Amino acid sequence: MSGRLRDTVLGCLAFAIAPLAFCGPMGFKDSWMAMGDFSPNWQEAFANYALTPRDALGASTLYMRSDDESKSRQLVDVTYTRLVERWNLPQAQANVWFLGGLGSVSGNDFGGSKLMASPGIQVDYETIRFYGSATARLYRADGINHDYASARLGFSFYEVDYDEIQPWLVVEARRMAGLSDKTEVTPMLRLIHNRFFLELGVNNSAQGRVNFMYIF
Amino acid sequence: MNKLVISLALALATLPLFAATSIKATVNGMVCAFCAQGIEKRISNMPATKAVFVDLKKKTVAIEAKEGQTLDGDAITAEITDAGYAVVKLETVQKSIEEIKAEVKARK
Repeated sequence: MSGRLRDTVLGCLAFAIAPLAFCGPMGFKDSWMAMGDFSPNWQEAFANYALTPRDALGASTLYMRSDDESKSRQLVDVTYTRLVERWNLPQAQANVWFLGGLGSVSGNDFGGSKLMASPGIQVDYETIRFYGSATARLYRADGINHDYASARLGFSFYEVDYDEIQPWLVVEARRMAGLSDKTEVTPMLRLIHNRFFLELGVNNSAQGRVNFMYIF
Repeated sequence: MNKLVISLALALATLPLFAATSIKATVNGMVCAFCAQGIEKRISNMPATKAVFVDLKKKTVAIEAKEGQTLDGDAITAEITDAGYAVVKLETVQKSIEEIKAEVKARK
């Protein structure tokens, strides 16, 4: 099996087995949420404010770099997050989210900046011990296509009380068109404590990664 | 004599005037402490709230009223709903949050 085919199969498999990751991309009504996702090829900082239980407005900045480090992008955009549907079950919660962004992208292989739109969808399912999600998002500008897909699957080592630190093991597979031919796979240790959410991992290219979220 | 003292003590302990009143809400969808922060924050900001306790395992949120104040079940349901969850049951109990916490600890 060629490397590319293997990566594609692994990527599809990750999607197929994910019942549908990340905690929600917005907080509760009238709250601020700050998020960060940092690795050598992907550096994103994001904050939004929940105007309603289902709608949040925010801003984000995203730096993307190709695997060979020859190409880079810098996106700055305003964002809109919408909780499209939520199922509150006795022992689980499932969500469908709309993620949208509109902003300006610049790059090291073209002059000036371009208008970039980034609509996407995320689905997730979570119990107190299990977590799965999948995200698909378009990153489009004139002559640029960096469409993105990711899937996450994880479990908690044990149940904890509300005020205790809860450790999880989460594995993410993600791909981005136009910048990488590889499926990036990252096992991460996730720690949740009160309003703080932290993930630490190393991907299959031996690059470190840190994610965090905080609700104000 | 001992029986009389015990009976008197029990009777006093159950007098509504002296007992702490709490509302216990059973909440669907409450699976993650990070995501449930909104419940605690929103209910803590209600004027009649003295203390809040979230039990993830039992999927309950207990709210103790300040002395002399009454908790509004509808308002609590609305706050939990605004935090993104579904209330399926509300019950009033004559217990303080400390007593409820002690019960949870004893279950372990």
